[in-house]
This record gives sequence, structure tokens and C-alpha cells, in this order.
Amino acid sequence: MLEALRKKIQEIMPQVDGVIALRRVGKGTAPHLFLPGDDLSELALSPQFPLPTPVRIIQAKYPDKRFAVVVRGCDERQLVEMAKRRQIFLDKLTMIGVACTKEQAEYCRCEMPFPKQVDIGETVEGIPQTFLDDFLAKPREERLAFWKHAFAKCIKCYGCRNICPECFCKECVLEDNLWVTSGTVPPPFPMFHLIRAMHTVGKCVACGECERTCPADIPLTILYKLLKRDVETVFHYYAGADPNEPPLMDSTIFLADMDMLHPPRR
Amino acid sequence: MSSPESNVQQPPYEPKIIGFLCNWCSYAGADLAGTSRLSYPPNIRIVRVQCSGRVSPELVLKAFHEGADGVIVLGCHIGDCHYIDGNHRTSKRIPMLRQLLAYAGIEPDRLRLEWVSAAEGERFATIVKEFTETVRELGPIKRVMVTG
Repeated sequence: MLEALRKKIQEIMPQVDGVIALRRVGKGTAPHLFLPGDDLSELALSPQFPLPTPVRIIQAKYPDKRFAVVVRGCDERQLVEMAKRRQIFLDKLTMIGVACTKEQAEYCRCEMPFPKQVDIGETVEGIPQTFLDDFLAKPREERLAFWKHAFAKCIKCYGCRNICPECFCKECVLEDNLWVTSGTVPPPFPMFHLIRAMHTVGKCVACGECERTCPADIPLTILYKLLKRDVETVFHYYAGADPNEPPLMDSTIFLADMDMLHPPRR
Repeated sequence: MSSPESNVQQPPYEPKIIGFLCNWCSYAGADLAGTSRLSYPPNIRIVRVQCSGRVSPELVLKAFHEGADGVIVLGCHIGDCHYIDGNHRTSKRIPMLRQLLAYAGIEPDRLRLEWVSAAEGERFATIVKEFTETVRELGPIKRVMVTG
């Protein structure tokens, strides 16, 4: 797979000014901008790291240059949502689609482990999201206790926000003393995490990077995946599907009937 | 000798409700309820906002965090928004926040969204009465926020 990717990058390199991909650093990987003529021997695919944020930073610095980027399914969807909000520019970006392996898909509990256009690797089926229904089967008191226990472990490192490609605001409410009291750990119960969850509704592609980054192992993916599922079933808005569709909040979609949503009351 | 406190009866539970009312329709609707001499529960504390689309999730969550037992958001009917599409945003944001509250283990019925026009004073009074009863049944938010 890595060999095929190397070949593909060499093929694309003459048409672009650089390729954004992962490079092996010690035992891990780091985002790297490969320039024409660069040695591709340190190119890597895993462990994964979301590349949309490096794309945003690099494109902001070199707005006239043309880049290619190696994307997995989630990277591609994140880039589409960012492009809708003018954070990156798709017309100056070539995507090299990589399909995830079965192991990677299982590790991420990914519903859609492949980009729209697959250049490298073979498409595998998504993982059924049964753990969401298992979670919802719990009574309300248990769900509350579950999150209270989980959020009590938060050390407010802001890792979930920093890793998130969709968190690109220059000013963040989570840093505002009015909403999240500074100098206290863990953050007071409903404030920090629920605010972040609401602020990413409609752009979160549920890649699960926040959960993997979290040093306290807070199972954030459950919350984000549940919200994403609601956005899909109720508003028929699929985050990252169509770059020509307006963002959910800017669209004129509205709920004609409030009873379309059935929050679990039990 | 009994302590003086033991003779003091606990006052019955009265829910605290924060209402975010849009300036152009719902606030005028509440005004109409007042000028029409309609009575509605005094449990609601009204905060006037320019548009119901301005009610961000952190405002609602902060209200709950500070001890509000219920939050009600009232805006113009769809199509009547002074800012054209402000309430379209509300109509997505508040239902999603209700979902999130439910997933996090807080009763979603503590948050309610309704459309009230400037001519619907009676509707305003009815909604506030109804919502106060809903929240009274759910009980104090302290039970949710402190224990659990």
C-alpha cells in the first residue's frame, strides 16, 4: 500500500507544488510537506493523524500554490466541511484518496472508512454502529452517571479542541471565562464538553480523533456520533458529502414539525 | 427544646424558568398578555434577545448550570423573522440541544422551543402555564446537576 502511494505521489508531483502527507518520525508520524525531488522513503500512512489542519495552515501561507494531500475518508469529509466555511480551498487542492484497512476501520469504529475517490487500497465495509444503541438502552440516570464520571476525569488540556480540524475559530468560547470558569479542573459539568459538542454539530464528521487524543480516555465519540446520526436522519444533512451544499446552519432547512425528533426521555 | 428551624415549614417547590424571548414577536406577545390582563405563572424570568437565533447553546447550558429548572426559547413563526432566517437557525439549534441534553442524561423536556407572534398573547400565557407544570413535575435541576 505504501509502495503504491509512493508511486502515486511521484506521478502527481510534477503537477503540484508539494504533497502534504505523513512522515515517519521515530515510532510515530508527523504531518510533512513533501516538495518536488524530496526523498519519499520516510513516507508513512499509520499511525494516523488528521491532515486537514496542516492543509489549512499551509494554504493560508501559500494561497497561490497548488498542493496535493493524502486523505482517508474522514480527512476528505473534514476538508469538504472546511471548504464550505472558506478555511481551505478545494480548487487548489488535489486529493489522493486512501481506503482504510479492515483493522483501521475497526480501530476507529468507522462507518465509512473510504473517501469518495479511492486511489490507493481496497474499500472495506463500514463498522455497524451498534454501540450507540447499546448506550441509548441505558436509563437516563445511568447515562448521566456515565458522563459525570467521564467528564470528572477531564484535565482541560483542550486536546479535543486542538486536534479537531473543524475547530478553527480564532476566538474560542471554551477559553472565555464567562462560559468555562478558568483555573478549575475538571470543568463544571454541563459546560465545557456539551458546548463543544453543540458547536461542532453539522460539521463534525465523527472521525473520533478527539477521543483518541484525550489523555483521560473520555468516550467522546459516543456523543458526537449520536449527534451526527440525528443531523443525518432529521435534517438529511451528511457532513462532508457535498462541497456545493451550504453549511447546515446557513441552510434554509428547518423542522416543520418539532415532533420529528424523539429525544430519549427514559 | 426544639431548634427554631424545625418549626419553619419548607416552602413548596417553585420551578425557576428562564425565558429567552425574541424582541420582535414573542416579547411583544408577552407584552400583549400583560396588557390584556392575562395571568400566567410568575416562575418565568424573561430575558429579551434581539432574535431567537441569538440564543447560543452556551446561554442555555449556563442557565441550567446556574440553577434554572427550565429554559424556554420563544421566537417568531417561521417566515416572520425580522432578520429573515434567524429562526431557521433556532429551529435547528434548540432541537439538537434537546437531543444532546437527553444523551448527556438531562431531561430534554427542561428545554422547550415555541413560536409566538406579537398577536398571540393568549398563546404565550398558555405555553408558560403548560411549561411551568412540566418543569414542576420534573423537579429541581439540583437533583440532576449535583447527584446522579
